[in-house]
Amino acid sequence: MGKSNKDLIMDPVFDNNPIALQVLGICSALAVTTQLSTSFVMAIAVTIVTGCSSAAIAAIRDRIPSSIRIIVQMTIIASLVILVDLVLKAFAFKLSQELSVFVGLIITNCIVMGRAEGFAMKNNVKDSFMDGIGNGLGYGLILLIVGFFRELFGSGKLFGQIVLPLKADGGWYEPNGLMLLSPSAFFIIGFFIWALRTWKPDQIESA
Amino acid sequence: MQSDKSFDKESPLNVILLAVVLCVVCSLVVSTAAVGLRSLQDANVLLDKRANILSVAGFEDVASGDVNEVFGKRFTVELIDMTTGLPAASEAMEAMKKAGKEYSGEEETIAKYDQIWASKSKKPSISDPTDDATLIKYREKFSHVYVLKSEDGSSVEKYVFPVRGYGLWSMMKGYLAVEPDLQEIAGLTFYEHGETPGLGGEIKSERFKSQWPGKQIYGEDGEVAVRVIKAAPKDDYSIDALSGATITSTGVSNMMKYWMGPEGFGPYIEQKKDGETETAQTTMTKSGDQDNG
Repeated sequence: MGKSNKDLIMDPVFDNNPIALQVLGICSALAVTTQLSTSFVMAIAVTIVTGCSSAAIAAIRDRIPSSIRIIVQMTIIASLVILVDLVLKAFAFKLSQELSVFVGLIITNCIVMGRAEGFAMKNNVKDSFMDGIGNGLGYGLILLIVGFFRELFGSGKLFGQIVLPLKADGGWYEPNGLMLLSPSAFFIIGFFIWALRTWKPDQIESA
Repeated sequence: MQSDKSFDKESPLNVILLAVVLCVVCSLVVSTAAVGLRSLQDANVLLDKRANILSVAGFEDVASGDVNEVFGKRFTVELIDMTTGLPAASEAMEAMKKAGKEYSGEEETIAKYDQIWASKSKKPSISDPTDDATLIKYREKFSHVYVLKSEDGSSVEKYVFPVRGYGLWSMMKGYLAVEPDLQEIAGLTFYEHGETPGLGGEIKSERFKSQWPGKQIYGEDGEVAVRVIKAAPKDDYSIDALSGATITSTGVSNMMKYWMGPEGFGPYIEQKKDGETETAQTTMTKSGDQDNG
């Protein structure tokens, strides 16, 4: 492999983005992005889980029998996710309530499993950790972009701070209700993929 | 890949060994964290409950550091028997003892009694089965009622009732604040739910919550009249349902009907309303002794 740390981290952000190129992990990208703060916490949670689970799996990769490798990966990922959930409940109670089930659902996020199976089983601990962090960041970047547009145009706020004063509160901005519903995340992700592939044409799949 | 020739990772022994070791390590890590963080989480849950009670009763922006203090100063917590509507802290203590939880006195019972636990325990001394549309299945025999007193403690300003009911995915748990006439709603807030964020999750939004204050609970026939329906008419009883969240909205409607009805806080409300007319009569002869809490 022999990729540098920078490549390992930066590759999944733009060149091989898990959402934009691999189109994984869409479900939670739709669900938690109505606000920037939840997108942000989710991005951090997924980054930590992918990084740590990849590292843990890489550490014992030579001992994992192939017959039970998926369940072994699941066990490690699930434990980490529960850990993250517990920590959020203890230290960021409000946010953990808003994220509700979606923290728990990181277990089923294909990105985490995908990196474990696709990368960590074949690479050393350090590279796997970097790769996991990179993929988490790539996922987080999209989440933040989607969250930014959805919160700004859907409720006129950023991180809960009023940016566009709403008509309902005496301002001038009429919020776009669609932005608060899941389809808007699809549109934004679509636009992002369009922009990314215009910038990096080699990502376009041959039809 | 350097792999030991003598070590066969595919052998059944290694499969079992790895599975066992992994499970033990993972469960140790998870349970250590769960136990270690439990007290912090419990404190958060209690603080959040109290903050919600304060907010539904109309206190705005109480800093989280002040919540316990303000709550302690202004609220009286009552523990009532749901069927009679009367304060029943000592009965609750006895009943909880039968169910396996011992408290040292009435005060501790009021402070530590957990009605959700009581209903989930399904034990006959502390819960009654019900097949109501709220799908709570078992209703606790004893419930907290939070009474907001005026600054000088002489009169009641609001009653706050814990309410809950099933929505689409989850049990929605919240508080209903009612004016002292026990007819006009002062607010409704939810502190726990697992409804879809952006759809049913909007039960926590200002737009939904702001519809509640001022609505009347009981219709002229004395039945619960407040409801959540689509395209709500502009009357004193109707709340506009959430779009894209029909089942959640119906759940909230059922919740009102149940908890304000005879199986819920109906008896307590009757009791208070009767008490009020009595006190009103006695105050004409004897001035200002309103100690009916």
